[in-house]
Amino acid sequence: MKFTQLLSESAGAMLANPLRTLLTMLGIIIGIASVVLMLAVGDGIKAFINKQLSVLGSNLVLVQADMRKSAGARLRTGTVQTLTLDDAEALNRLPSVVGAAPMLTTWSQISVGNDNSNTQVQGTTPASFKIRNLRMAKGSPITEVDVASAARVAVLGKKTAEQLFYKADPIGQTIRIDNQSFQVTGVLDNEGQSFDAGDIGEIVIVPISTARVTLVRTASPRSVQYIVVQARSAETLNDMVVDVKELLRDRHRMRAEDEDDFRVVNFGEFAKSGEAIATGLSVALGFVGAISLVVGGIGIMNIMLVSVTERTREIGIRMAIGARPADVLWQFLIEAVTICLVSGVIGVALSAGLAAAVTATGKFDMTVGFKAVAIATLFSCAVGVFFGFYPARRASKLQPVECLRYE
Amino acid sequence: MMPTDRSGSDALVRLTDVRKSYFSHRVETPVLHGIDLTMQRGDFLAIMGQSGSGKSTLMNILGCLDTPTSGSYVLAGQAVGQLSRAELAGLRNRTIGFVFQSFNLLKRMSILDNVALPLVYAGVARKRARERALLQLEKVGLADLAKRQPNQLSGGQQQRVAIARALVAEPPLILADEPTGNLDTRTSADIMAVFAQINQARGQSIILVTHEPDIAACAKRLVRLKDGLVLYDGPAREGLHQLQQDDATEQARRATRPAEATV
Ligand SMILES: Nc1ncnc2c1ncn2[C@@H]1O[C@H](COP(=O)(O)OP(=O)(O)OP(=O)(O)O)[C@@H](O)[C@H]1O
Ligand SMILES: [Mg+2]
Repeated sequence: MKFTQLLSESAGAMLANPLRTLLTMLGIIIGIASVVLMLAVGDGIKAFINKQLSVLGSNLVLVQADMRKSAGARLRTGTVQTLTLDDAEALNRLPSVVGAAPMLTTWSQISVGNDNSNTQVQGTTPASFKIRNLRMAKGSPITEVDVASAARVAVLGKKTAEQLFYKADPIGQTIRIDNQSFQVTGVLDNEGQSFDAGDIGEIVIVPISTARVTLVRTASPRSVQYIVVQARSAETLNDMVVDVKELLRDRHRMRAEDEDDFRVVNFGEFAKSGEAIATGLSVALGFVGAISLVVGGIGIMNIMLVSVTERTREIGIRMAIGARPADVLWQFLIEAVTICLVSGVIGVALSAGLAAAVTATGKFDMTVGFKAVAIATLFSCAVGVFFGFYPARRASKLQPVECLRYE
Repeated sequence: MMPTDRSGSDALVRLTDVRKSYFSHRVETPVLHGIDLTMQRGDFLAIMGQSGSGKSTLMNILGCLDTPTSGSYVLAGQAVGQLSRAELAGLRNRTIGFVFQSFNLLKRMSILDNVALPLVYAGVARKRARERALLQLEKVGLADLAKRQPNQLSGGQQQRVAIARALVAEPPLILADEPTGNLDTRTSADIMAVFAQINQARGQSIILVTHEPDIAACAKRLVRLKDGLVLYDGPAREGLHQLQQDDATEQARRATRPAEATV
């Protein structure tokens, strides 16, 4: 018997009882949809993390100033500014370090005319732009000259610029930060969450020297709050952290028993934990999918057994006419696989719709890729074959006389 | 009993001492007690006998739908007892056309596809199978109903479709167990005309079970079964005559001794 004939016959059998077929398919539909969503969520989270890392800049660690302690006793109480510009320069010279940017940040009121808002202001050096992957939408970034001369210049985040100037060009305009005038030299192009300042679109960047003079009070003329350090690659990140710690302990003249007077925050690990969450979610969805597929498969098996019983006479007639046991087996097997495949297609369509809806909210990108569709197809076929085989085999083993006698 | 002297080597059907018992709960119910039957190609044979005499049981064995408990069956030169289930299916497909009392058409399938089905199982491409099925439907005068479903046809029409299905693969043997059992007298006559025509024009052999002497009269040869044994095997005309006499004596016996008439 030809395959196309088998296919059209199984379509006929499915349509003979559409409601029953649909209900039978539900388990497989849910199972396949979960499996596809699992893959889409996994891919989506990975894409999200990558996007996030491109906002943050990749392979970064943050070295924060902390209190100096010696064998349990604080030496300089109340100060949390153990790091200095010199530390940053020393870090910059480490072979494992690509760049190090010292930072001084504060929340300040910025205003243009009567518009004002509270925003984080970051005082930093040009190195910060490079290692944090900051791009200019307009104008130019902070320069070494600006830092050297403590120039009253500012680079605005995209949203801050829009908030203060609407559609007007902010370049060359004057804004007031804590009531002191700054000239806008550039606008950032970046968007999204940064690791240290909330939305990168809402910050203002000024030279670190200017920040120290005008906005942030520091313990000493060279101290900084934290230093952003970039490693050459993800692989060398951990080695770099070791180098960084060693250098700083050495520079801070710490003895072996002293605790660090700084803290290292590693964003590589941050990304790793994000991926762990993605894996966890995928596993959970995969679990739901697997259970639905098994339950759905049992449903298919049940309905196929019912179908074999209902169609006993038909089987007898077919056998009398010349259907071999293999023909009967194929007929029921193809029927089970067809049901599963159609369920799979519906499941994929359902999850694609859901993924599109989630993507449309703009918070998270989910795409149902070719891999997901291929896996769904494979799974639905496998479920059909696995759970359809027993009923089909049973049908093929029936004796023609007994079938023909069956009412 | 008539001698079975038709045992040519090219016989289409040869049953030798075929016995059949049914077993239920380990209790043996013997039904056929040793049947010898030989049939040449082109023969037209009617089987008669009281209800429960084993006619359907014999037909199932002849149709390779059931296996005898003992004895041998050679169909178209093939020893049926040695064949696998798949080989039996192939043998049925090539050699036998079935016509059932209850028509047994497949629902959810058009008349045309029903008739084409034996060819499909024989491996003929669907398009070609449908062409041949339509030709066969034309021969039984139902070509214009080809697109209908079986339940949209009268009983007589359904039985003609069933005959078309039995004939479409041009098997040498047609087996019909009470083909007119569910039909009225006129429709029965129409159906019998079709059988007579295919036997004469195409030389296809027919074995037909019936309770009605009128139907059996269409056959060339009659086999009467009684309690699982062949009571008569010979020309239909004589056989029917004998049957009439047997019935008459039976009735006379009943009239005189009504107390024993409950058998
Ligand atoms: N599957 C079965 N299991 C047990 N006994 C059976 C079975 N089929 C038939 N029989 C018995 O075998 C005997 C012959 O049955 P069969 O169907 O061959 O009779 P028949 O001659 O075709 O009768 P009818 O004219 O009523 O169709 C009957 O006594 C019946 O009860
Ligand atoms: Mg019978």
